[in-house]
Amino acid sequence: MGKDRNGMTRRDFLKTASAGMAMGIAGRPDWLLAKEDYDLAVISGDPAAATKKAVEALGGMPRFVKKGQRVVLKPNMSFANPADRASTTHPAVVVTVAQACLEAGAQRVMVLDYPLRKGELCLERSGMLDAFQALKGVHVLALEERKFYREIKVPQGKTFDRVEIMREVLESDVLISIPQAKSHSATGVSLGLKGLMGVIWDRYSFHSKYDIDQAIVDLASVIKPQLTILDATRALVSGGPGGPGEVVKPNLIIAGTDPVAVDSYAVSVAPWYGQNFKGRQVKHILTAHQRGLGKIDLEQMKILKEKA
Amino acid sequence: MRTWIQALSLALFSLLFFFFANYKLPEWLPADIYLRLDPLLGLSAILSAREWIGRALWSLLLIGATLAVGRFFCGYVCPMGVAIDFLDPILGRRKARPGLKKEAPWRKAKFFLLILFLSSSLAGLTLAYLMDPLPLLTRFYTFVLYPLLITLINLFLDLLRPLTQALGWMGLSYQHYTQPVFYMTLITFLIFSGIIALNRIAPRFWCRYLCPLGAFLSLISPLGLYKRRVSKECNECLKCVRTCPMGAIEEDPKKTRLPECIQCRQCSKVCPKEAVSFPALPSTIRSRQLGGEYSRVDLSRRGFLYSFTGGLTAAFLIDRTPFTPVQGKHQLVRPPGALPEDEFLRTCIRCGECMKSCVTNTLQPCFWESGLSGLWTPQMDLRFAACEQNCNICGKVCPTQAIRSLPLDEKTHAKVGTAILLKERCLVWAQDKLCLICDEICPYNAIVFRTIDGYRRPVVIASKCNGCGFCEARCPVGGTSAIVVVPDGEIRLKEGSYIKEAKKLQLEFKADPGDDKFVLESSGFKVGEKEPPAKAEKPAAPPEKIPGKKPAGFL
Repeated sequence: MGKDRNGMTRRDFLKTASAGMAMGIAGRPDWLLAKEDYDLAVISGDPAAATKKAVEALGGMPRFVKKGQRVVLKPNMSFANPADRASTTHPAVVVTVAQACLEAGAQRVMVLDYPLRKGELCLERSGMLDAFQALKGVHVLALEERKFYREIKVPQGKTFDRVEIMREVLESDVLISIPQAKSHSATGVSLGLKGLMGVIWDRYSFHSKYDIDQAIVDLASVIKPQLTILDATRALVSGGPGGPGEVVKPNLIIAGTDPVAVDSYAVSVAPWYGQNFKGRQVKHILTAHQRGLGKIDLEQMKILKEKA
Repeated sequence: MRTWIQALSLALFSLLFFFFANYKLPEWLPADIYLRLDPLLGLSAILSAREWIGRALWSLLLIGATLAVGRFFCGYVCPMGVAIDFLDPILGRRKARPGLKKEAPWRKAKFFLLILFLSSSLAGLTLAYLMDPLPLLTRFYTFVLYPLLITLINLFLDLLRPLTQALGWMGLSYQHYTQPVFYMTLITFLIFSGIIALNRIAPRFWCRYLCPLGAFLSLISPLGLYKRRVSKECNECLKCVRTCPMGAIEEDPKKTRLPECIQCRQCSKVCPKEAVSFPALPSTIRSRQLGGEYSRVDLSRRGFLYSFTGGLTAAFLIDRTPFTPVQGKHQLVRPPGALPEDEFLRTCIRCGECMKSCVTNTLQPCFWESGLSGLWTPQMDLRFAACEQNCNICGKVCPTQAIRSLPLDEKTHAKVGTAILLKERCLVWAQDKLCLICDEICPYNAIVFRTIDGYRRPVVIASKCNGCGFCEARCPVGGTSAIVVVPDGEIRLKEGSYIKEAKKLQLEFKADPGDDKFVLESSGFKVGEKEPPAKAEKPAAPPEKIPGKKPAGFL
């Protein structure tokens, strides 16, 4: 009853129409509307092409990076392993994002991480330095000194109320998180939320002092990347985070503005430790959702799935 | 001219040391070339190890050149000589120096030391490193100069930071060099400054009286082509006698103490009559035409015997400590590829190149850990830093191959020890906390979690552990790590493949993907079951009291 031929309820129709009108009033062109509407863009294909398409699907980089802004890219460069070991973000993904930022007019693009291993080795052996050789104006750095970090307050912290964050992250206009999909011996998976532990100075306290799942969410309550582009072209489904372990190839780039949604989707793209899980089954992702940081149920997300 | 050559030599030495002795060193470049050229080091290592050492054969180059030309090395090439010369003005070059009243016996000191070092080598103890100028200077560079330089650079960068930030030079504004730190820095500094300070007594005091390498070269220099000759023009003004930095000119200025002459030609430069020259003469007519007789090194038989037995005695006294018989049972983790302890101690020349090059700074000099015979030998301080799996530089730069130069995968199999879990210290074992840092950081998946007493606890699989020490370095427990690497199970081969040896011992340093399945199995999982868990949609389950049914982090 009450349904027209398209299967659309009157309520749905009104909702969409009014949303559309509201957007229209705000003066956004139509073509942008549809794209911004997606919670997630899930694009399959080779790393560079899929990344490019994912960014475009979300409205293009100019939606996130305005002319003259300072941008920090946070890939995973934590280990001195090549990309096929799936313990670090694929360099092609990071380069593609950096390029898009430059094209959008970014004044400065910094690619930063606090690696688990010796920084210079990680940058070199992960292939990141080589990949960025051709791209001028982008700095790829491992920040291993406390002086490059600054303490901030964590008002909603459950486990800690202060944390030291990379200055550059705090001072820049845009943070784009580019995590690698991998398993993790303490948190089940290491995706976007867990990956943000790479911008803090003292991550060991997360393991030894705090409940790590709560601590990750505390961090997520203060560090909110405007865009998360998750590299699941390869996924390290066991032996994470450093590997070596089993590497599967979902061949996917998962991008979105909601870090919890990205992570939740990413959990579903590969079997972890030989088992299928959902986002709700990962403690830190569920906690993040429960603390209001993002969507977790895939059914409630608008997802664009395409091939590059 | 000579000053320029000296500066060039010191620059080359420094360049190789600072810029090339690191993990990026290309295969073809011998960053340790100065040390390889040193015949005294080579000879003493060969004698004490009773083995041919390939790299020591490079010293034949220097021996050949000295035979042909004379003792030029000390005056032109030796970076220690350069350092002494260049630092001389600081100590007041113009001041009159007291000199030594009775010089002759002092001159012999270096020869006695040379004999002593060689005879102790014969008895199996290397001591030459104590006074050979090249390891001495390399040690000074490693333990003093290199850390100091990094400190200064970082200080400079810090001062510059406001400016670089304002200018938006981000690369520079985030530039920082990890500060290397070493034990034994102070003592190395004191020794070096002592050597420089001796110049106050007489110029090039070290080279004149003490340097055993100089003694060695002077012994083989008499055949050299160039000799000092004084013509009849000489008016005996004695200027040359006063100027000679080596004191190689006798009271009769026409005579030269040839073994002492380093061919710096200072005498010919200052001679008002231009009476001094260094012509190249064929050896047959040398003795007749030279302005002075060749003064032989006159070591009395007694002196020779004393120093020879002195070396043997030193070897006896120093080597006879409880450390010697129980080598390997000591808590000493040597770098990967180090020869078996006995050979290692005999071969290592304590230059410190390995410690300078070490990418993580884990290699540290021993002080007393292996007795007097192990001074300055490298050991791994794994609580401080781990051994990086993608680096094999320590062997590459070892001039005597006391640490074998190994390709990366061979080096991975050169097990240095085994991690042992100290359960009473471990946060998980002793306090039921959820800590997995050792597992997370282990590059070889040698640490797994098993359900024990209803709780997932870390366990070391010894056959997968090559002792790299990441676990020990990163263990968050204060004080002694809850997981420590001990030399148990270390593989130290004089020759042959470490991979083969590891295979023979059924060790596996490349963790395979099956690892975690093993964990899952032991924690009650049915591996291979791909169906989604039944209660997938269950909202917010309370945290499990007994995590162990699923991998950590999953609900």
